[in-house]
Amino acid sequence: MKIVAVFINLVFFLLLAPFLEGVMRKITARVQSRQGPPLYQPYLDLLKLLRKENLVSAENWAFRLAPLLAFASMLAAVAILPLHGQENILSHEADLMTLIYLLTLSGFSVLIGALSSGNPFGSVGASREMMTIIMLEPVLAMTIILGAVRNGTMSLPGALQGVASTESFSYFLMLAVYLLALQAFVSRQPFDIPEAEVEILEGPYIEYSGPNYALFRYTLNIKRTFYAWLLAGGFLSFLRPANLFLDLLLQTALIILLFGLISVVGATHPRFRIDQAIKYYALLIVLSLLAVGLGVSGL
Amino acid sequence: MNKKEFLAGLLKDKLGSDFLGQEVSSDHRLFVDIEKEALLPAVKLILEQGGRYQVGISYDDRKNHQSFALIHTLAFDRDGLLVALRAFAPGNNPEFDSITPVVPGAGWSEREYHDLLGLNFKGHPNPKRLVLSDDWPEGIYPLRQDVPHDLMPPSAEEVAFRLEQAPPGTSVIPFGPFHSSLHEPAHFSVYVDGEDIKGCEYRGFMTHRGIEKLGQTELTYNDVPFVAERICGICGSVHSTNYAQAVEAAAGLKIPQRAEFIRVVILELERLHSHLLWLGVAGHLIGFDTVFMQAWRIREKIMWLAESLTGNRKTYGLIIIGGVRRNITKEKAEDIRRVLQEVEKETLTLEKAIIKDKTIHKRTRGVGYLSKEDAIKWNLVGPVARARGLDIDVRRDHPYAAYDELKFDVPVAETGDVWGTLVVRLKEIYEAIKIIRQCLDKLAILPENEPLALELEGPIPAGKQGLSVVEAPRGEAVHYVLTGEENRPERWRVRAPTYPNLQAVPDMLLNNKLADFPIIVGSIDPCISCTDRVMVVELRERRVRIVARQELEKISRKMRLGR
Repeated sequence: MKIVAVFINLVFFLLLAPFLEGVMRKITARVQSRQGPPLYQPYLDLLKLLRKENLVSAENWAFRLAPLLAFASMLAAVAILPLHGQENILSHEADLMTLIYLLTLSGFSVLIGALSSGNPFGSVGASREMMTIIMLEPVLAMTIILGAVRNGTMSLPGALQGVASTESFSYFLMLAVYLLALQAFVSRQPFDIPEAEVEILEGPYIEYSGPNYALFRYTLNIKRTFYAWLLAGGFLSFLRPANLFLDLLLQTALIILLFGLISVVGATHPRFRIDQAIKYYALLIVLSLLAVGLGVSGL
Repeated sequence: MNKKEFLAGLLKDKLGSDFLGQEVSSDHRLFVDIEKEALLPAVKLILEQGGRYQVGISYDDRKNHQSFALIHTLAFDRDGLLVALRAFAPGNNPEFDSITPVVPGAGWSEREYHDLLGLNFKGHPNPKRLVLSDDWPEGIYPLRQDVPHDLMPPSAEEVAFRLEQAPPGTSVIPFGPFHSSLHEPAHFSVYVDGEDIKGCEYRGFMTHRGIEKLGQTELTYNDVPFVAERICGICGSVHSTNYAQAVEAAAGLKIPQRAEFIRVVILELERLHSHLLWLGVAGHLIGFDTVFMQAWRIREKIMWLAESLTGNRKTYGLIIIGGVRRNITKEKAEDIRRVLQEVEKETLTLEKAIIKDKTIHKRTRGVGYLSKEDAIKWNLVGPVARARGLDIDVRRDHPYAAYDELKFDVPVAETGDVWGTLVVRLKEIYEAIKIIRQCLDKLAILPENEPLALELEGPIPAGKQGLSVVEAPRGEAVHYVLTGEENRPERWRVRAPTYPNLQAVPDMLLNNKLADFPIIVGSIDPCISCTDRVMVVELRERRVRIVARQELEKISRKMRLGR
């Protein structure tokens, strides 16, 4: 079972992630008085990209490695997540630091790819992405660390269980911070600053096409799913039904609901400038530190 | 004594023997001939009196006077007067004093005539190539009369436009020649320090089509409106109307009243769809695609309406010299009213959403700021000028067609930034609706079987000057026509509103964030095809050969890697 859990994790995220993009596109389209593409469109997009020729515009290994590294580390990150609150076979090798590390590595790979492409728009995108990572990773880290502090364990199942301990004030503060940060975690408007199509032409991804680009897209989809999952499987895990199947169903429903929210917020906001966003992120960091402080002092 | 007589007297007084004469014209136009040495002092004099520089016009007059003519036009918006100062320079040594040090907005006009007619401007601060493409050979001046319109000279070798060096401590981000925030080819080489814009250089005029040259050599008077309409894909009938008005002014024609009102209806419909288009694009440029989709959905109704009125969504083909080609019947008028009501209602909903959105305020307030003084310095026009507190609108100040019989407000904002242009354009949507409704009321009273166009009696006399202005959605468009032989204009000059506005963009960009580049450039609603209109048809002979895909990829990769 412990091995199967890893595969269930992988299949869950790999299958669900593109569908959620479909949901997002559909809802955005409805807000904009459009028909919108069918919900399965992102699967077709990925398949199409994967079948294309891999054009490599920069002759260095970093450019080729970056999409693989991003995708692999994101897969590794979701593989180690506890299933149904239980440990899996990787849990002994991987604690919450590993999770944070893998997520950062995935974001970092995007930077490597952008910078190795030598494209000026890529560089601007990379510098924006870097600022976003620096400002947003602490919020995620604090969320999980708060759980670890409450439960006194570095293991992932323990820490995530701690995230969901609703009896303290810090739970509600952290939940609020997380919800405020969610739009930025999934880099949708008003926080899609590193990609900003009209300014820097998708920034970090500008030189990528075909399968390489498909990997980046897939990584982004899984990343978004993960951040929504953390609410369903972390903050709200006290709702967890006893049956594994029902648990997955509930999580899916919650995640789809969150994506609906994300889409509506995204469709009704213009993009921030990076300097405006950073002020917002700084506030989030301070609040999340406050929540951890409260958690440490038992509130 | 009116302003025209006063200015004529003043010029005569101050210039003395340099004042050569004054053409007989209407009360709203003053055409003066002066010695070329007097051009700079005369421009200064007019500026001191409160004139607003419009454009430079130049033409090859070696056939008649062995000389090149240069005209500077200036507007007095409070007095409804346009002044044109013309001077001649000998054909073998065409040199004028540059007025750019006094009027920075004249910089492009002078560079243009250096390129196209080979005129030299003494004291021009930046005499770089402007209009011609980089590989156009030196010494061939396409607007000169001895150069045929379809000349295809061999391209010059080893040429590239030399962009300025980026200032130390900055790096260059190339916005263009193709970029998704610019919907037409143009190249802004933007110098950035981190995310701060420290300067930029513009290289444009990449889509020149030789339209003016065509009008002067190949087309006849009544062909030109249909070509003029194709100068721009958005404000086409601004150009056809403007051209027709210039010819009518030169020939002294008065068009039927019904045609005047129909022209206004079409111009205002064009403004409506153009402003809604801009609103959508502006939303898109700050990453707000919902505004884009909704604004364009509303706009679509106007496009359908235009199709039912004229047969086309755009490029209506409605204007001819002496009038219009199609009527607006009672049934059509009802259609227009119905669409206007829907558009008004839905725009109000959209406006509420925009005004309430805090993020839009954050992204547009204080962005692309230019003071009123700078706006005057650069001779800005249209909503871009009105957003900076300049209360100018050609429709009110220099009324044409039927605008003198209509009541409307000219919205002005004082913020001097992108937000101001947004507010001005939003308000103008309602003003345009108001104007169209008044026109429909008038059309209902006028006899429906009145002729829509004049029957021209005899040829249009040669050598007459006509100067016309039209308030395009983007601002004042100027057309100048010098009538000629063979049933076609001797000289036809088009100045689109983007021409002056674009010259001020580098100043607007300074010290803003890179992320604001798209919306700042977008805030002037740049119409590159209007601005680039003048070029010579340039079909360089190319070897025709089929390039296989692999080969093409190989070439492009080699170029990228510098091998």
